[in-house]
Formats: sequence, structure tokens, C-alpha cells
Amino acid sequence: MQSETLSNHYEETKSFGLRDIVWAAFVIIGSLLAWDQYGHNMDVYEDAILGAAAIGLIWLGRFWRSFQPVTVVVTLLSVLAIYTYAKHGNVITANEQAFFLKYLISSQSAIMWMNALFILAMVTYFLALYQRSEFTGKVATTMVWSAAVFGLVGMMVRWRESYIINVEYGHIPVSSLYEVFILFVVLTALIYLYYEQKYKTKTLGGFVMLVISAAVGFILWYTFDREAHVIQPLVPALKSWWMKIHVPANFIGYGTFSIAAMVGLAYLITAKVKEKNPNSGFVKRMPSLELMDDLMYKNIALGFAFFTIATVLGAMWAAEAWGGYWSWDPKETWALIVWLNYAAWLHIRMSKGWRGKPMAWWALIGLLVTTFAFLGVNMFLSGLHSYGEL
Amino acid sequence: MTQETVHSAAPRKQRVLLDFLGSMNLAVTLLVMLSIASVIGTVLQQNQATQDYIIKFGPFWAEVFNSLGLFHVYGAAWFVLVLVFLLLSTSVCVTRNTPGFIKDMKQFSEKLSLKALQHQPQHTEFTSKDDLQTEQARVVKTLQAQGYKTKVHARDDGSVTVAGLKGRWNRLGYFFTHVSIVVICIGALLDSNLLLKYRELTGNLIPETRTISLKEVPQTAWLGPENTSFRGSVNVPEGQKSDVLFLPYEDGYLVQKLPFMVEVKDFRIEYYDTGMPKNYESDLVLTSPELDEPIVKTIAVNHPLYYKNYAIYQSSFGDGGSLLNLKVHPLLSPVENPIGLQTAVNKVEPLKTPIGKFNVEFNDFRLFNMVPTTEEEHAKTGKKFHNNGPSIIFKVRNEQGKAWEYENYMSPSLQENRWFYMTGVRTMNSEPFRYLFIPADAKRQKTRFFKFLALINNPVENTRIFKEAFPQSEQTDDKTYALQIRLMQQLMTLFRAKGFDGISEFINKNVPEEERQKVGDYYFGQTSFALQSLFLDVLKQEGAQPASDAEVSDFDKQWFEDALTAINTIPHYGPPMYFELESFKHIQSTGLQITKSPGKDVVYFGSAMLIIGVFFLFYVRQKRIWVNLRQAENSGDQADKAGTDITVAGKDNKPLPETETEFERLVHLLRTSSH
Ligand code: HEM
Repeated sequence: MQSETLSNHYEETKSFGLRDIVWAAFVIIGSLLAWDQYGHNMDVYEDAILGAAAIGLIWLGRFWRSFQPVTVVVTLLSVLAIYTYAKHGNVITANEQAFFLKYLISSQSAIMWMNALFILAMVTYFLALYQRSEFTGKVATTMVWSAAVFGLVGMMVRWRESYIINVEYGHIPVSSLYEVFILFVVLTALIYLYYEQKYKTKTLGGFVMLVISAAVGFILWYTFDREAHVIQPLVPALKSWWMKIHVPANFIGYGTFSIAAMVGLAYLITAKVKEKNPNSGFVKRMPSLELMDDLMYKNIALGFAFFTIATVLGAMWAAEAWGGYWSWDPKETWALIVWLNYAAWLHIRMSKGWRGKPMAWWALIGLLVTTFAFLGVNMFLSGLHSYGEL
Repeated sequence: MTQETVHSAAPRKQRVLLDFLGSMNLAVTLLVMLSIASVIGTVLQQNQATQDYIIKFGPFWAEVFNSLGLFHVYGAAWFVLVLVFLLLSTSVCVTRNTPGFIKDMKQFSEKLSLKALQHQPQHTEFTSKDDLQTEQARVVKTLQAQGYKTKVHARDDGSVTVAGLKGRWNRLGYFFTHVSIVVICIGALLDSNLLLKYRELTGNLIPETRTISLKEVPQTAWLGPENTSFRGSVNVPEGQKSDVLFLPYEDGYLVQKLPFMVEVKDFRIEYYDTGMPKNYESDLVLTSPELDEPIVKTIAVNHPLYYKNYAIYQSSFGDGGSLLNLKVHPLLSPVENPIGLQTAVNKVEPLKTPIGKFNVEFNDFRLFNMVPTTEEEHAKTGKKFHNNGPSIIFKVRNEQGKAWEYENYMSPSLQENRWFYMTGVRTMNSEPFRYLFIPADAKRQKTRFFKFLALINNPVENTRIFKEAFPQSEQTDDKTYALQIRLMQQLMTLFRAKGFDGISEFINKNVPEEERQKVGDYYFGQTSFALQSLFLDVLKQEGAQPASDAEVSDFDKQWFEDALTAINTIPHYGPPMYFELESFKHIQSTGLQITKSPGKDVVYFGSAMLIIGVFFLFYVRQKRIWVNLRQAENSGDQADKAGTDITVAGKDNKPLPETETEFERLVHLLRTSSH
């Protein structure tokens, strides 16, 4: 019986059906239109990045079907926003006049919706865990999906807005601490959703949303106290196509490391409760310890792979911008520390076969190291990475 | 590991050492040590002056930290040692594991006995109706369709084992990641200054620590083309060229001769409308005997010039010796007689004055001084920054070596709706500048100020003016009158020497306590009367004819107050000279960073290996399947259509939760295909 359903699932992912053709066509046409519209601002490297992104997106949509509707909705909303700006003469103040922009999809509004939805999702996930309600869990998941959509729309529209304010300011929104925080929460949420869908782990949602909500809290403080959301032009060192690939790769790493830490937290709590009362309802509702342990591994492995790429890309960019691929700059050095930390984690797990509690603790502490590399370096250490000082 | 014991002819001690080097415990320990060292290197500011460390930590701890190499962690011997052990450990691990892994990659283990198969982590058995040959072909086909490579082994007893192997690149992943670490380290080593360290130890290389001209740098600090890797910088003024490079080395520097000449035609900074710099660019011409045509290129941040295995980067900028046309105003002279001075940034000018000899070092010229705007200004202009105009930075040093550093602005700036020429002074680098605000006159010039100042300094003129303003009355005898005039005169001298404080000080010293109040009031009254008289005379000279102070305009009143404030602080301004910047010719220099990095491509190659290896390691899983086929025994009545007994066994070298279900799925496929 079980193998029956398994093989059905198996058949489904293998076939290359009509849906995939439509999907590929959608991505290709969309990319070509974008290239036609904005290609004059792009150099050859950026053309190549666009091409690679299109291929990557086609692959991702096939690998993870649920990403297809997300892409479509994000595209439609972003195009609607861009179109509305155009109708208002491409002035930034349109975000105060046009209804859609003002309340929904100007970058600032979209990001505020995202913030609100993430926090609501955390509450709802925990409520679902408490109520044992499948329905509430579904509501929470829907909230995370919507938050991710709003976040992506916010980023796309912000990208356009930077050009509307002043063509010279125009840049992809992954260049200030404020912008990368949005990237961080969106990527973390999407990666989490993938695993939730695959392993049916809705009860972990609240835990993962803890990190996301903390980041949202930071975004809110940064917005209201420091006005960090104001779009600023780029310093010369950041004007490079390398940024478009280096930063996202880095944040896939940060995102997965955060998820691993939160799964680690859930693991530790579950293990503790289980020790006291093996038949507790909480333990039954949580995923099995083995699954959580494996999820930690999967996230760290994925993150480690992308973090490796990001660090190498960073070194190559440094070679082009500063004249040396490695300068022991604090940000660089902390990236190495993070990398070494997870390399050690993976060695211990793979070769020594450690599992469970110590690895969960280590994943949790790893998040502290990661957070310092991400945030602490900007706060406490000076160096060549000049973006986003607090 | 088994083959190791077989070949093991090596003495035991060596084995123990190798085991230790290749052990996981050592590897993880090294990784952790490297992390901790890196943390220290970022938390503790590196490569600062020894002095700064002593201030921060006290002499004892500064010494302790220094001997541990904590101030130059990334060059410290123990840090290099950790790296070397990392290299050794990885190499040993690779050499030890690779043969086994290669064997494992090739091996199908098709000869495993049925018993062994039944002991594999996954196994199951079933019977098919078809005969052995049909089933065997089908199994091979199904496995291959699932991405397995297969090998068939027929046994003497008539049974057949089909062994499948998938994802053997996982093993390559292990090999790639570890070899890549070695490759990256080798690349980094090629780019390190190990060779220079060696030359320094053997004594034929001595870094230069003094700031001297290039010609004076001794040969022992020069490097030629034999130096294979370097990263240094040089400042080239616009219109000039350079074929040398300065490499920072320990506490000093080395001079690297380049096989080409770089000429800087022009340097530009572009700004955004916010006042932030948008771009730095240099127009370069590179000439070399090896080139028929010089290379002409504009470099910018993120857009270097590559020539052979050299790369030239835009890294900084500065003043390239701007020409300065100055006027030096003596501040204690009784007549206005500024002297002209033609000089340039980076020059030192000796200055002989009645109050001693000085050396003036012109350190910098700034064309723009962007300062944040106030809130009202922001509301008015919409700009976040405004430009305070050009300034010069220079030091005046007396014969004893004491120096005052100045920052003088060329144009006046608006403060509380009045225009002032700002000049800042400090005696310590760590202090902020204290500013003297010279009020501008109605023509927005400093002319009136220096006229007024000279007048105060001039006792002869003073006497004349005081006598005019304060004629001798009937009741005063000649002697008293002369005393009164002289008092005013002396008050002026005191004021100029030490400001209003000087007058108070004089009273405190010379007047008995009980009379101080009265005398003080009288003296300050006289002082202000004297100053006002002098000011009125200045106004008269300018052509205005105010009969009394009542007719002085508000502007002039305010100016008078501001002038007194300024003059009052001149005694704290250092040597009494004011350097006025009359005109200039701006010459910038561009800071080029030039590197030769033969290890770069090696490091990139290693990095590519690392990335590929990591993906193989995490996303390719090595799996084995064995399908043992035997003539079914319980064929009974239909002997001609004998079925086949099948045993399927599987092994995943990294058992995962999905291993089980995947095995079931495969078994399911094998079963359905046999119906
Ligand atoms: C940073 C420098 C590294 C050092 C010093 C190092 C060192 C070692 C050592 C000593 C072993 C034990 C070998 C044995 O048991 O004989 C090992 C095993 C291993 N290392 Fe590394 N390693 C490094 C980097 C990496 C990286 C980047 C990865 C990739 C993620 C990696 C993956 C592995 C794996 C998978 C094993 C276990 C192989 C097995 O027994 O199946 N290592 N490493």
C-alpha cells in the first residue's frame, strides 16, 4: 500500500509534462521581456546572470512545484506596481497617491505586510501546536507563503524604485543591512516551507518563525528608529555585478544555518520532554527525533555548500575590488570562522557518527557564531566591508 | 583500512605518528584552533603602533600579547604552524583513504555470498514466476533505468548475483574537498612573503622604516623582478609616472621595482547629488619595453587594469602636491605687512620671524569639505551636505620641535547668519581642532580684521587715537592725563598678550583684594572704551563718519563683538601667524594598488574543486544493490516453468531516513516488472 503511493509520487516527479513546458516558457518569456526592458542598464556579466537565473528558476520550479505559483504571483504583483508607477509619471511620490502602491505593493507597504504576516504566522503556528489543530497549522503555513510573496514583491519593487528616485542610485536591493535582512527572512521562510512540505513538519514552524520574527523585529527597529529603509546610493566599492551573486549565496547559508539552529532547539526541547514523559502529547505531535536530527544535517549541508560558494565568490570579488582575494578583513575572517565551525560539525557527524543532543547544541551555538558574522562584525569591528554600519 | 595492515612494513612509531596526523580529533582540534585565532585577529586590532597597544593594555600585557604574536596573528609562527598541520593532516587523510575509496568506487562486491546479502542493512526476498534468464535481464534493465551500474556474477551452483552501484562520485567528493584544501594552501603559500622572510633572516633584506626620498632608500630594501608575488601601493600625482611600488613589510616598507611604467594622466572623483562619492577613476598609460603600443585605460573601483600577471587597482587618492599661494599675516605686528609664500603640499618651508625660526609643513589640501547640513538648511536647500570649500592642513614647528597643526579654510562659512573664516588649531593628533572664527567684513573679506588687529598692536597710533577720543580736560593735570593714556595703552598690550583673562590676572596680582572690584570695573571700562575708539577709527578710515557709537550699524556692532571674541583667543592660537590661502592649483594623486599573484589561479582552481567536491559529498549518495537470483526450489508440479527465488539487498553508505523507503520503492519496481 505504502509503496503504491510512493511509486505514484515517483512517476509524478519524473515526467516532463505540459505543465513543465508552460513553466519553462513563462520563465523564458518573462526573462526576455525583462531583458528587453532593462537590458540597456546591464553589462555582459549581468546578462549572463539573468540567463543563469532563468535556467535556475526553471530548474527550481520543476524541482519544487510550489515555487511556480509563487513566482507567478510575485511577477504579476511586481509588474502591477511597476505599471502603476509608470502611469503616475514614474515619480516616487506615486507611492503616496496610487491606492495599490500606498496600501499594498509599494516596497515599503509590501515589506510591512511581510513583517506583520511573519509575526502572525509565528503565533498561529504555536497556537496550532497547542490546539493540535491541523487547520490552524494550514493557516499559519498560508501566512508564511503570503509573507514570502510580499517580501519578494517588496524587493522587486524596491529595485525599481531605486531607479525611479534617481537612475544613478539604481541597484539590486541586496546592498545595505536593511535590504539583506529582508533577503534573509524571505530566503529562510522559503527554505523552511520546502522542508515543511516535504517532511510534514508544521509543528516546527513556530520555532523557525522565532528567528524570522527576531529579524523582523530588527527590521522594524531599523526602519523606525534609524530610517534605514530610505534608499541610498551605492558606495563605489559595491557597484559590481559580483554583489548579485555573492550576497544571495551567502544568505542561503545564513538562512539554512538559522533553520538548523531552530530545529536544534526544537530537538532539545522535545528530547527533554521525552525523557520526563515518553508518552507526552507534545512529543507525539513533534516530528521524530531522528527526523529532526536529519533536518539539521540537511540544512547545514545545504548551507555549507552555498556558504562555500559565497565565500569563494567573495574572495574573487575582493580580488577584483581590493586587489587581493584574502586580506583578513573582519567580515572575511568571520566568514571563515563560520565555515570552519560547520566544517567541524559535519566532520564530527559524518566520521564520528555523533547524533542528537550534542549536535543540536552545536547547531544552536553555531547560530550565535553566524549572527556575529552577519551582524556583530558590522556593529563592533571595522573593516573593508563598509555596508550597513549601525 | 584492511590493506594497510597487510602492507604495513613501516615501523610502529611512524604508524602512530601518521595515525595521529590523519586523525579526526586532530583535524577538528585544528579547525577549532584556527577559528579561535581568527577571532582574536578580528577582535584585537592588528598591526597598530606598539605605542597604541601600550596605552590600551598597559606595558605588561602589551608585552605578553606581543610575545604571543597576538598583534600580528596571521603572520605569527604558531598560526603558520596550525596551517602547516592542517595541511599535513589533510594530506595524510587523503593519502590514507584514497586507495580504499578508489577500490570502493570500482568494486561491485558482486561475489558476496547469499548469507552476506541477508546481513545487509536492507534486504527482502520474494519469488517470481519467470525463469532465471528472463528475470536476470529484467533486473539488469530495471537497475540501469534507475541509474545503477551493474555487474553480473554467475556462481557454480547456478545462481546469479546482479550487483548494482550508484553515486560512486560521492567518494570523489571526499577526495576533491580534501585535495582542494591542500591546493588552496599551496596557492596561498605561493602568494605569501615566505621568500622575503627567508631573505630577511639571511640578512640581505632590510625593510626601511624612515620616511625618506626614493633615492635615499638603500639597496637592501629594494626588490627586483625576482620577487614573484607582491601586493603594494604607490601614490602617483596627476601628470607623473612611477615604476616602483611600496610594499608594507613588518614595521616598515620595501621598494619593488616594476618592469613597466605607469603614468597617471588624470584622476577624477564623481559625486552623487547627496555629496557621497560615486566613483573614483584614473586615466592610466602603461608603457613597457615589451609593448609596441602603450596600454591606455581608465581604471575605477571594481574595474582594474590587467597586464600579464599584474593587476593595477584604484585603491585610494590624495593630494599630489597642489600648488599653494599663501599670505602669512603676522598677528602681533603693528603694521599690516603680510608676506607672500609660494609653496606646495608635501613641502616644508623654513620661516624666519622676529619671534623665532619655524618650519611649516604643508600636509594636505582639500578641494571639498562636505559637512552635514543643519535641519533648517536641509529644509531650505533639500541637500544633506554642503560644501565648505577648500582648506589646507599644515603644521608649524618651532625650533624645540613643538608643533601646532592647523586647518584653514579658504572661503568664509555661514554661522548663525554671519560669515566667518574658520581656522582650527590643535597640538595633539588625538584632539579635535579648536576653531578661531575670523569675522568677515561687509565685503566678506578679512581686510578689516587685520587692519583692526594691527591698530591694536600699534602703540604709537593707539596714543594718537586715544588722545583724539579722550582729550585732556581742564581739571586734569598733564601728569594724570599722561598716566591715563598710558594705562589705556598698557591695557591694550595686556589684552593682546593674554586676552581679557590677562587683564583680570594683572588685577589679581597687583591690586589688594578689597579694591579689586572697583579697579576691575574701571580697567575693563577703560579697555572697552579704548577698543571702541580704535574700532571707530577703523570705520573712519573706511570712509564712514560715525560721530558716536550710537550711529554704528548693527552689522558693525556685531562685527566688533565677533572680532573681540576672535582676538581674545589669539593668545591660544600658537605662534602668532595666520596663513591665508589666496589661490591654488589642485593636483591630485591617485593611490594605485599593484599586485602580482601567481597563486591566485591555483587558489581559484582549488576553490572550484572544493565546491564541486562539496556537492558530490552532500548530494550524491553512494548506494549498492545486490539481486541474487536462484532457481526456485518449490516448483513442484510445474517443473518446466520453474520460477525464480529472488533476494534483494541494499546498502547506503550514509543511511538516511529515506534510505528505507527508497529501498522499498526499488523492490516494488523489481516486483512489478516481474509480473
Ligand atoms: C579544512 C580542512 C580539513 C581538514 C584538515 C580535514 C581533515 C580530515 C581528516 C583528518 C579526516 C579523517 C580521515 C580519516 O578518518 O582517515 C577527514 C575526514 C572527512 N572529511 Fe575532512 N578535512 C577538511 C576539510 C573538509 C571539507 C571542506 C569537507 C567537506 C565538507 C570534508 C569532508 C570530510 C569527510 C566527508 C570525511 C570523512 C570521510 C569518511 O571517512 O567517509 N573535510 N577530514
